[in-house]
Amino acid sequence: MSLKLDFSLDNETFRHYLNGHAVVMHSHHYLALITKLAEELSDIGGPQLLKDVVEESMWAVLNDYVQKNGQTSPLQRCNVGREYYSVYGLGKMKVAGTESGGEVCLIRSHIDEGWIKKWGHHTKPVNHFTCGYIAAMFAVAFDKPAKSYRVTEAESMAVNGTEGTFIVTLS
Amino acid sequence: MTVMRDTVVKSLAKINIQGDENGLIPEYDVLVNLLPASLLNTFSERIMAAAPPDKKSKVADGLVRAAYECGYHTGCGIITSDVFNDVVLPMVTEGEKDILRGAFAAFTAWGWAKSGIVQLKEGERMVIRANDYYEADSGGEGLRAYMLRGLCQAFFDLTYADPYPDGMNTFVCHQTKGIEAGDPHGEFVVTRK
Repeated sequence: MSLKLDFSLDNETFRHYLNGHAVVMHSHHYLALITKLAEELSDIGGPQLLKDVVEESMWAVLNDYVQKNGQTSPLQRCNVGREYYSVYGLGKMKVAGTESGGEVCLIRSHIDEGWIKKWGHHTKPVNHFTCGYIAAMFAVAFDKPAKSYRVTEAESMAVNGTEGTFIVTLS
Repeated sequence: MTVMRDTVVKSLAKINIQGDENGLIPEYDVLVNLLPASLLNTFSERIMAAAPPDKKSKVADGLVRAAYECGYHTGCGIITSDVFNDVVLPMVTEGEKDILRGAFAAFTAWGWAKSGIVQLKEGERMVIRANDYYEADSGGEGLRAYMLRGLCQAFFDLTYADPYPDGMNTFVCHQTKGIEAGDPHGEFVVTRK
């Protein structure tokens, strides 16, 4: 792994930081239920809201990292997003693409595997969180603002139990 | 000896976790994730803001429920973990009360909230005071510590309800004060449902 990881602790508040951003631990139960809550609120745009929040939040974290570490090539920048995903415990992905879009294969997935552990296989894709994450990763990789890419989950690990596939296109 | 909170907090706070070769964090009998606190706060605020008035309580309940189930299952993994056995159990002399004290020390050490028990009627009622918690930064109006409500309820269920996994939903937690609402600290009261 090429990512520089600076874990720190505020000795007064006991808040934890990773590369200067406050982080907190939860379990697959939490993200599975947050995902389900977003699904149950589809009538008010719950899944899209979750995607948007993840994209905006992760864009800020990833962009901060590449700026501070002087990473300029799309490959380097994309790798930052891919490695951060694993550091956060969200799983393992393979990324292929260009500025105009690409494809991401999810080999392991906290959210999908967590969903299956909790409720079994689902009938439709549920990984809205990772759609937002990938949109942020591509935007930072190609030096664009958030909301530059649209990501759809074409194949779902929560459904098929094996791998997830995400298609990335320019908005 | 009873549980020496500061010793436990300092020991547990040193533990850093990150993904393994599969990008997963299998710990405490669950898959753990490590996420930016700002992301979680922003989601709570946006989903609450998006909900129409007649759905806001349902959304709030959903946020609390996510934290509750996370806390109940993960909390069981924590209090039966090797690290808890090594650090906390040697100090336990007052049974369940000390397990609960140790659990709230872990609560602080892992950055959920700088918090502790201020009143305890065993098996009946508990008051938690939190002097710092990440949901205090959420930016919304009113009391917004959904995660803390869920976790306080979960830890009390684990300690005083039927043994895991049969003791869910025995107690309930209400937030009575919040830093996010202008109070000097957060306060959480757990009572039987």
